[in-house]
Amino acid sequence: MAFHQGLAGESYDRQYSNEVLLERIRGYAAPYKTQLILMLITIILQGVFAALPPVFVSRVLDRAQAGTADNRMLTILVAAVIGIELAGFVFYYVIHRLLARVTADISRELSTDAFTAAMRQDMAFFDQYSSGKVVSRITSDTRDFVLLIQLTMDVASGIIQSLVVTVILLTTEWRLGLLLLSFVPVTILIVSSYRSLARRVTRDGMRALADVNATIKETISGISVAKNFRQEASVYQDFTHSNDVSYRINYRRGLVLSIVFPTIRILGGISLAALTYFGGMSVIQGLISAGAWYMILLSSDRFLNPIMSVTSYWTQIQTGLAAAERVFALIDSKHTVKQTGAYIPESLTGKIDFEKLTFRYSSGLEVLKNFDLHISPGENVAIVGHTGAGKSSIARLITRFYEFQEGQLRIDSRDIREYDLIGLRQHMGIVTQVPFLFDGTVLENIRFAAPEISPEEVLRLAKRIGSGEWLETLSHGLETEVGERGAQISMGQRQLVALMRVLAHHPSIFILDEATASIDPFTEKQIQEALNLILAQSTSVLIAHRLSTVTSADRIIVLDKGEILEEGTHQSLLKRGGNYAELYETYFRHQSLAYVEEAGTLFRGKSSGMRQNPTAP
Amino acid sequence: MNNSEFTIPFRYKTDRSSPTRWLISHTIHLWLPFLVAVIGAIGNAALAGVPAIQFGRAYDNLTSGTPLRQVLIQSAVLILLTQVGRGLFQFFRNFGFEITAQQIERNVREEFYINLLGKSMTFHSLQSIGDLMARATNDIREVNYIFSPGINNVLGSINFLFIPITVAAGIHPALLATPLAFLLLYVLSIIHYLRVLKPVTEKVRATFGTMNSRLAEDIDGIETVKAAGQEAKEITLFQSNIKAYRDASVEQGDIEARFMPLLLLALAMGFGLAHAIFLARRGEIGMGMVLTYFSSLALLNFPTNSSIRSYSQISLGMAGARRLLKIMNTENNLDENEQGFSQRIQGEVAFSGVTFSYTPESKALQDVTLQVHPGQTVAIVGQTGSGKTTLIRLINRTFDPDEGQVMVDGVNLRDWKLDSLRSQISIIEQDIFLFSRSVAENIAFGKPEATLEEIQEAARKAQAESFILELDEGYETVIGERGATLSGGQRQRLALARAFLTDPRILILDDSTSAIDSRTEDEIQKAIKLASEGRTTFIITHRLSQIRWADLIVVMKKGRISAIGRHEDLLQTSAAYRNIFSGD
Repeated sequence: MAFHQGLAGESYDRQYSNEVLLERIRGYAAPYKTQLILMLITIILQGVFAALPPVFVSRVLDRAQAGTADNRMLTILVAAVIGIELAGFVFYYVIHRLLARVTADISRELSTDAFTAAMRQDMAFFDQYSSGKVVSRITSDTRDFVLLIQLTMDVASGIIQSLVVTVILLTTEWRLGLLLLSFVPVTILIVSSYRSLARRVTRDGMRALADVNATIKETISGISVAKNFRQEASVYQDFTHSNDVSYRINYRRGLVLSIVFPTIRILGGISLAALTYFGGMSVIQGLISAGAWYMILLSSDRFLNPIMSVTSYWTQIQTGLAAAERVFALIDSKHTVKQTGAYIPESLTGKIDFEKLTFRYSSGLEVLKNFDLHISPGENVAIVGHTGAGKSSIARLITRFYEFQEGQLRIDSRDIREYDLIGLRQHMGIVTQVPFLFDGTVLENIRFAAPEISPEEVLRLAKRIGSGEWLETLSHGLETEVGERGAQISMGQRQLVALMRVLAHHPSIFILDEATASIDPFTEKQIQEALNLILAQSTSVLIAHRLSTVTSADRIIVLDKGEILEEGTHQSLLKRGGNYAELYETYFRHQSLAYVEEAGTLFRGKSSGMRQNPTAP
Repeated sequence: MNNSEFTIPFRYKTDRSSPTRWLISHTIHLWLPFLVAVIGAIGNAALAGVPAIQFGRAYDNLTSGTPLRQVLIQSAVLILLTQVGRGLFQFFRNFGFEITAQQIERNVREEFYINLLGKSMTFHSLQSIGDLMARATNDIREVNYIFSPGINNVLGSINFLFIPITVAAGIHPALLATPLAFLLLYVLSIIHYLRVLKPVTEKVRATFGTMNSRLAEDIDGIETVKAAGQEAKEITLFQSNIKAYRDASVEQGDIEARFMPLLLLALAMGFGLAHAIFLARRGEIGMGMVLTYFSSLALLNFPTNSSIRSYSQISLGMAGARRLLKIMNTENNLDENEQGFSQRIQGEVAFSGVTFSYTPESKALQDVTLQVHPGQTVAIVGQTGSGKTTLIRLINRTFDPDEGQVMVDGVNLRDWKLDSLRSQISIIEQDIFLFSRSVAENIAFGKPEATLEEIQEAARKAQAESFILELDEGYETVIGERGATLSGGQRQRLALARAFLTDPRILILDDSTSAIDSRTEDEIQKAIKLASEGRTTFIITHRLSQIRWADLIVVMKKGRISAIGRHEDLLQTSAAYRNIFSGD
């Protein structure tokens, strides 16, 4: 069934045909039609005007030389030259302003569409694609794309200028025109062969540089360890070696990059000398005037320079198109989680039923098969098991982050597919394994899911945990800035904030993927207190890693390869001596107070005996 | 007095009193490539004037009534030779500046690194590593860019401003008016342009930064956003962030559109031509001279179009140089005390009335007094920010206390010879840093001469051998960024192995790993237990079992000792302590 395709159908990057790609680009350009047309007209004018000054200058010279022109005529011609040059400045001004607006606006719209698409994506999408790459599609790829618009304008302007110059030259003296044209293939050949050489040294350089940078970073991180052991000389060796390697690579790259402009300069010199001579001969033969000869000399740069830049922009144009393709692929990527309804519940009791549910990841790996689990309103269920048992999948299906393939999942006896996603999640509180905080204050983070709650209410809730002592350890209490991703506060504090977020939100269903990071015992106690407050008010599904969490659950589910092996309370399951007892021995024993007491005798002294048998017990 | 903890002579002496002087003192030693580059720049510009002169000469010849082919050939050949010569000069210029830039980058980085190695532990414990890395890579690269393309373009194109002046001086003094006026207005308008542009480009960068970091957070924290159903709010926020970025970009575009030197160039060309024609009509100069003059004015195109970016490049580079100097000029404030007390440490550690603060506003430690006997194991417990790390850093004299004193074996730390003290104290940090070297080399880091047997013995004691042997190449496996990755617990045991080899008298362990499974926990417990035997050991720990069995437990709270004693004592005296050992 196509509808239940689930994660398998995910295809993200795609190849667009040129027509489709251009059609899409046109869609974004359409609102700026007037500006773009205006820009194009200005660019044509700019190209034509840029080719004109030599023509007028040569007329001025010829008239002045012949002594035939009156002052008025000369004044008009000189004024024309000034006028043309001034017009060039005005065109530049107009184009630049229009371009700045059009590119900024198109880039803004493209980024917004890409970001919106990303926000609406399923979790499966983010499992597959690193967040860094998604971010770069939204920012740098859109920028590369608008650069394309800019380049297109430059190229258009250059081509027009070259065309006008060509026409002028050919009508003045076609043989000299052809002479200049014969430099075109040579220029293109030189620029493009150089381009591939430059790309190679640059790529080699980049690759080697990444290596060198890594070493430099390592040797800097290593300084404090080196100082600890007084081994500075040893890290210095590593450092100078990579610093010298870096120098040699850059040196070679610099040599190659230094060659291009001089080469083109020499080519231009050859063409100028040839035109000087052959043009001069044409004057002697009476084919053209001396003024026309000078015009041709002045035009030679105006002809060759645009061709050079068009040739060197070619790669960037390809880059821009590829970037556009990547952005569109992100915007067009398909969702796998599909809803059939849009029911927005007023409230939920928190009843959860899995019935004969089968769930596979896109890789084809089957996680749950014919899975049955019934959780009553208000119940606290802990799920334990080895890595890969399917614990997280259960949580992520309830939050509807993933699509399942067969069977049923009902929340409050209603098919989960019939809910509006945001409406459903409004009644859920989720704490992920690495609690995520946004740059801002502690208060802002606590109110993230429930913006309507007042600061006073948050403070009241905060004081229910360890009588508010945790707020005192924050430098500015609720107003403390947590930094990007919460980096400025400790891991334990981050967990407390994440739990506070759920407390403030007061959801019907609470899902916890418990952190494994080590927390100081005082904060740990407070986390436990916060957790207990939440457990008392919600139906809870706990993926537990801490002994205290497991023991506080109403029911423990032992999961292995997507199947429930055992269920019951901590005491009853321990007594049974089955799978749970084994899991306990593996993961939870060392957290018990009994272990703490034993530790004193277990590892006391007797180092000689230990040496015999290092891997015991 | 030598304040440096470690000294390697740098290849030459530099003047660090200002960024400019500093760069000059580096450049002096690279005089050869720099000289080549400058000669290239001047030669390139000077030869650019030749075609202008030849155009005039050929024109006069062509319009003379009896044109000579000879003269035409001479002009053409001269143009050919000078333009090829220009190509060569330009290559010297580019390559000379490129070499200068690359050598500067290498030398500056070496100087910077040597300087870092000489800095005190105090400096390194306060300075963020990320920040130092950014300086050693990005800032130094910016300094490189000062020379190429920065000075290369500026010097390369500024020369062209003087060609029309020289040419005009040779033709008619009145013709100097246009190029001189251009020079003056050009300089003024560039200064104005850069001044106006600077705040706007900063705004562009700042708005982009704001947008980008929230965007990255949203994508990283997508699960949190979705779980809270806040997608719409985040999209709205993104839209307002990107609007700010868009507006700043447009503002920048508008300023760039008003690039006055372009206007000046247009005017200079027009007025120059009119002026020359006027003089020619009066018979003061010939038509060939008009051509020469006009052609030389056309060269002003180079400085107008090619050097805009280079000015901001140079100013960015100077900012980078300032940041580097700021680090390098930071004084080391702890003295080595070469004549100080030097002896094998017994292991008695005492704090009396110790107060310490990093910043004047808040005290990190307040009135800390404690007494540790040789061989004791001390557990330090407390919440983040309670002063645990500061406490242990005073023991090896990373910092000196503001008030009170710290003593080892009854001798004030200030009286110890620093090297003697530190070589007998080993610290295992919270984040354990391993080098991209083999496991064996990492273990032997503090004792490079250790034999393989000694290394293996240390690994066994640290309970590390079993996992080392499971690695692909055992002790020879390369670890770190480009090799095998190890878990926190495994890294910790390698660090313990290091300590077994160097056999310090005082061991300080900042332990915050957590074992996922009980067996690993057993091994870590055993390793730490063995490591603490026969030496005074301080452990910052979260592990209840280590707290439970320590000889002395120090409970820290807001920079003070809130409780101290053995487990049994604390159960009696501290409610908070009792609480963490209660069962529920």
